[in-house]
Amino acid sequence: MSEQQTIIDQPLASPPVSWSRQVARRTLARPLARFGIIWISIVAFCAIFAPLLANSHPIAIKMQGEGWTSPLLRHLTPADITLLVLGIVGVPILFLARWWSLSTRFLVVMGITLPTLILSLIFVRTPGTVVYEWYRQAEADGRVEQVIRTPIPFSPSDRLRDHPNPDPPYPWPPSREHWLGTDINGQDIASNMIHACRIAMAVGFISTGIAVVIGVIVGGLMGYFSGLADLLGMRLVEIFASIPTIYLLLTFVAYYPRNIYIIMAIIGATSWVGDARFVRAEFLKLRNQDFVQAAVAAGLPLPRVLFRHILPNAVAPLLVSVSFGVAGAIMAESTLSFLGLGLVDEASWGRLLDMARGEGGGFRWWIATFPGMAIFLTVLSYNFIGEALRDALDPKLYGGKA
Amino acid sequence: MSEQSKPLLDVRNLAIAFQTDSGMIRPVDDVSFNIYPGQTLSLVGESGCGKSISAMSILRLLPSPPATYPSGQILFEDEDLLCADESRMQKIRGSRIAMIFQEPMTSLNPVFTVGEQIIEAITLHQHVNSRQARDIAAQALADVGIADPLRRLADYPHQISGGMRQRVMIAMALSCRPRLLIADEPTTALDVTIQAQILELLRKLQEETNMAILLITHDLGVVAENSDAVAVMYAGKIVEYAPVEEIFDRPQHPYTQGLLASVPKLGQDVERLHTIEGTVPPPSNFPTGCRFHPRCPSMQGDPQCRNVIPNLRENLPGHWCACHHAENYPTAPATHPTVAHTRQYS
Ligand SMILES: Nc1ncnc2c1ncn2[C@@H]1O[C@H](COP(=O)(O)OP(=O)(O)OP(=O)(O)O)[C@@H](O)[C@H]1O
Ligand SMILES: [Mg+2]
Repeated sequence: MSEQQTIIDQPLASPPVSWSRQVARRTLARPLARFGIIWISIVAFCAIFAPLLANSHPIAIKMQGEGWTSPLLRHLTPADITLLVLGIVGVPILFLARWWSLSTRFLVVMGITLPTLILSLIFVRTPGTVVYEWYRQAEADGRVEQVIRTPIPFSPSDRLRDHPNPDPPYPWPPSREHWLGTDINGQDIASNMIHACRIAMAVGFISTGIAVVIGVIVGGLMGYFSGLADLLGMRLVEIFASIPTIYLLLTFVAYYPRNIYIIMAIIGATSWVGDARFVRAEFLKLRNQDFVQAAVAAGLPLPRVLFRHILPNAVAPLLVSVSFGVAGAIMAESTLSFLGLGLVDEASWGRLLDMARGEGGGFRWWIATFPGMAIFLTVLSYNFIGEALRDALDPKLYGGKA
Repeated sequence: MSEQSKPLLDVRNLAIAFQTDSGMIRPVDDVSFNIYPGQTLSLVGESGCGKSISAMSILRLLPSPPATYPSGQILFEDEDLLCADESRMQKIRGSRIAMIFQEPMTSLNPVFTVGEQIIEAITLHQHVNSRQARDIAAQALADVGIADPLRRLADYPHQISGGMRQRVMIAMALSCRPRLLIADEPTTALDVTIQAQILELLRKLQEETNMAILLITHDLGVVAENSDAVAVMYAGKIVEYAPVEEIFDRPQHPYTQGLLASVPKLGQDVERLHTIEGTVPPPSNFPTGCRFHPRCPSMQGDPQCRNVIPNLRENLPGHWCACHHAENYPTAPATHPTVAHTRQYS
């Protein structure tokens, strides 16, 4: 009897491992998901460090009779600066500052990047007119003593004006100078691909973020209250489910100026229904669980019960829907750009793809292949991650939460 | 405990109705009982007779709609909880009245550590800083007999055993020193040795704090050892309400007698174990008159049983019963039933 008691009061012999960490571990155990995460990391790296990877402005240059200057730094925009701070300071904090909880780390990173953005918006004056070919011409004229260039020495919108009459005409196929060739305007494709990572990440995450916020609120209210709220919410979901994102986008760009944020908002506002259904089902399941009853019985106010006790339990399944949602958003933006209705002067994979069609049905394989592969790999990666997450969360495969 | 002290909780003529697809059902009707400070009242009865929803209505935990309260009062410290608004209820829940549930495996939130959950409950109702809350939480764990409480605070629920979890639930429920603890089958999911430990623990904590306990169970062994008064429920009504010794020594209602006879006793021939014939009627189909009459062995075709609802009446001193055939069943109309008895500790 006393022996039994000591056994019973022994905690199980594992160190504290939260459920979310277990899920992360199971997800990462899958090779395909690991591939997906590696590819997304590469895309994220390119997005953050794009100006340092592909830029017509040299990192550092020494003109004859002058000291070293850095045209690259001088031409950074506030967005570039913020992203670089995020990449150089934020990401290491997020992954390495283990002594803080995840939410603390997140807040610290926000606390660093937001002021950076605001301060750089106020104080940084990026030169308005840029002459990309100036450095190349100076170099050709022999006025440059020494120069350090980025790995790809072309900005995405550098139209090679120093070659006014290119021979052969653009687009150029891949060469030693232009690794992946140029598009029909003489813009370097490799450079465009790298800078396009930003649009892909932004469209993916901002529009999915909008979708998640709407989906969580609508789905959460439907699931927790059920009854009338559920009935009305479900009708709302059905209405929005029947709006085709692409057609709404097409209609919109036909009448209004093209704006990436509005495109993101439209994608977000039409793709929350899946999230709402997910969250609703989770909340319906969870609200009758004993720990929710116990939380209410402990006197917690309703918002705290909903968002602190139920939502974290529904987050993991939501992540599945998010990863598929990001893939969908990237597809939507690519489709729009491919149809020539996307962004005009920002690098985007879909826009590159659009230029692969030559006059008279010609086909420029290098313009189609590289952006096409990038879209394909990115969408595939998110799908791999989503699927691995779904399996990692499957109680039938891993014996449940408790 | 003196007989004249005031009840802490006074449930009067409580009825609970649910709006369902097939119409209104009333699974709890005209239920009255009292709980005095320091007293344990056991609510017993077969599955589905309305024990849990009666208990949950005290904390107003039933979702409404569909639940409504067509009649009755739940007086807690002279305040009618059925009239209290939601923000008032939030102040009472967890601080004045706490509840522990049947399933320790699922009563803790799997994504938070034990400590986070206890500390959340403490900071909600007490004005303390996070250090003090942590100390209170550790003390609460120590009080329920958990060794090395500071380390256990960092554990996730899935890392500790069922018995430990129920102790954690009790620690959490008692961390704000409630006056009334509602324990809905607190030991059903645990094995017998742990069950005894948990009940012993509740008894000890009750002696220390003089809190009242509403203990819901269908284990008569648990009832016999842990209660002062017993209310026997059948099909949404209380059929017998008496001090614990009275219930076991002089059961008056045929249903109580049947329940007691169906408990195996040491040395009894198992093959002749008594069962109550028939099944519990569903709330949508309660019989008229005495709800127990279709299964009652002592009815013997009495039309009164079929047509007249028997009220809970005091047929022995301090012993309330609702049966037309009970000995000395008074003909006088019912008064408010109350049993203030507390057992003597040896
Ligand atoms: N939300 C609801 N809607 C309709 N009827 C309900 C609802 N909740 C409970 N009931 C009814 O109330 C009755 C009593 O349920 P309750 O959970 O109180 O039983 P119980 O006595 O606690 O049984 P057990 O011993 O199995 O826990 C049940 O028969 C059920 O039909
Ligand atoms: Mg119950």
